Amino acid sequence: MALRSIYRGLRKSNFLSPLCNSCSHLHSHATSFGFKEVREEEKSQLVGNVFTSVASSYDVMNDLMSGGLHRLWKERLVSELNPFPGMKHLDVAGGTGLGEDKSLVWVEGDAEALKFEDDSMDGYTIAFGIRNVTHIEKALAEAHRVLKRGGRFLCLELSHVENPMFKQLYDYYSFSIIPALGELVAGDRESYQYLVESIRRFPSQEKFAAMIAEAGFQKVEYENLVEE
Amino acid sequence: MYRSAARRLLPALCRRTGHYARQPSPIRCSAPIIHSAAFSASAASEKPQNHKPHQFGSSSSSSSSEGGKPRTTARPKAHWQEEQARVLQASLRHVIRLGWGEAAMIAGAREVGVSPSIVGSFPRKEAALVEVCIFTFVLVLLHSMCTSVNVHILLCHGVGPRFLGFLFSYTILFFMDDCLQRLIDIIDMKEDLKCLIPSQRVAKLVRIRLEMQAPYISKWPQALSIQAQPSNISTSFKQRAMLVDEIWHAAVMRPLIWIDFQDTWAFLDERVSDAFDLQKTVKEAKYLAEAVGAGMGGSVQGLVKRLFQVEYLEG
Repeated sequence: MALRSIYRGLRKSNFLSPLCNSCSHLHSHATSFGFKEVREEEKSQLVGNVFTSVASSYDVMNDLMSGGLHRLWKERLVSELNPFPGMKHLDVAGGTGLGEDKSLVWVEGDAEALKFEDDSMDGYTIAFGIRNVTHIEKALAEAHRVLKRGGRFLCLELSHVENPMFKQLYDYYSFSIIPALGELVAGDRESYQYLVESIRRFPSQEKFAAMIAEAGFQKVEYENLVEE
Repeated sequence: MYRSAARRLLPALCRRTGHYARQPSPIRCSAPIIHSAAFSASAASEKPQNHKPHQFGSSSSSSSSEGGKPRTTARPKAHWQEEQARVLQASLRHVIRLGWGEAAMIAGAREVGVSPSIVGSFPRKEAALVEVCIFTFVLVLLHSMCTSVNVHILLCHGVGPRFLGFLFSYTILFFMDDCLQRLIDIIDMKEDLKCLIPSQRVAKLVRIRLEMQAPYISKWPQALSIQAQPSNISTSFKQRAMLVDEIWHAAVMRPLIWIDFQDTWAFLDERVSDAFDLQKTVKEAKYLAEAVGAGMGGSVQGLVKRLFQVEYLEG
């Protein structure tokens, strides 16, 4: 199975370190839509279309694609977060939004330009969302901005498989089975094609950890949840 | 991490009582895994986790030498370790009201103006406060050994002789371990070692290491006898081996081949446990009875001395 990684960063400094503005892999992320090359301005619209299309069967597809494992990973993310009473927490890319608790507030927004104040959040999580933003470094910078000192950034994402044996199996599963499932269940092969391609295009664990550190976070760690 | 927090507490304690305050050493960000393996001291051992988090950029150690004093003004780029230590320090003040767990740490975080989320990043958070206290206590004990303050002023009421013996063992082994850690930090930071030839490097490092023991030299025979006790001997042997290894590696930049010694350690472990396990319960009961009986009239130090002598003779 793919490596699912949790990235943790500790927000320490009060000001941001200079953003990396000439990294080729960032630029290529901003103009890549899966394996296709697109204009930067178009990407966000294209991604939006994908998710509008898959929204109705999103949860079912997640269960099918990961064999229900995605629930365990998310639980792991929450336990890592170690919530405390009175915590102000921001979860980005919240998806289909089924919560009915009064303490849960739904806000539509842009991860690259959050509407929240500086130093207002104790925690920030993003699960399976960061690879869909156009400019990852902007999303990270925003996360850094809204978090208080001592606040934590946690990210759950699909990562790269190193083991060559499983890589073959995983590639077959990703490129043959998943789009077919997408067609069958959601009636949309192309969106799922995008999803699996975008996993491949996402930076490796070490690179992504470097990006988090560049955004100003300290004590950056990552953990592969599924080790083969 | 909890050691550096304890060291921060100690200068404050020492200032109040006028004891010798040791210079705090630079903080090491991630302790090597072998370090915890060597020093288990028959206490609860840390189980190796299946998924060890990868630390990114973990080789940086805090370069600030003023790390001993708690900072009241917020520095813009405070290192995360300093923040964690400050939170732990503040948390101890809430323990009476809130207990030894997370509630006290959350209150401590709020007190220093840091989000309580930081508690989630502490390793072994259930035991964090207790660990800080234990390390502080151990450091206090060490300080008492290098001054003329009599130990029994610190620890006489209600402390059993066996626990006392354990405490001494723990303290000495902790000290040896701590010196090794400080030596590693010095090796990591010292650029001028590169200019010396290997034999000079060895000489310099040995001197540095010996200087760490200098304040305690009057009590060193006692420390040595504690290390030589049967229950401590294999740990202290391993610590010495690691020390030699570290100095060798720093001097020669090549690993020392310890293959032969692995067998020696295994043999040593087995013999020690064989000799003492079976007879342990009977002997322990005997020591306790003797030591308590004899100790009633004498000082705590006399009691401990007697206890060690009895163990040693029968060993």
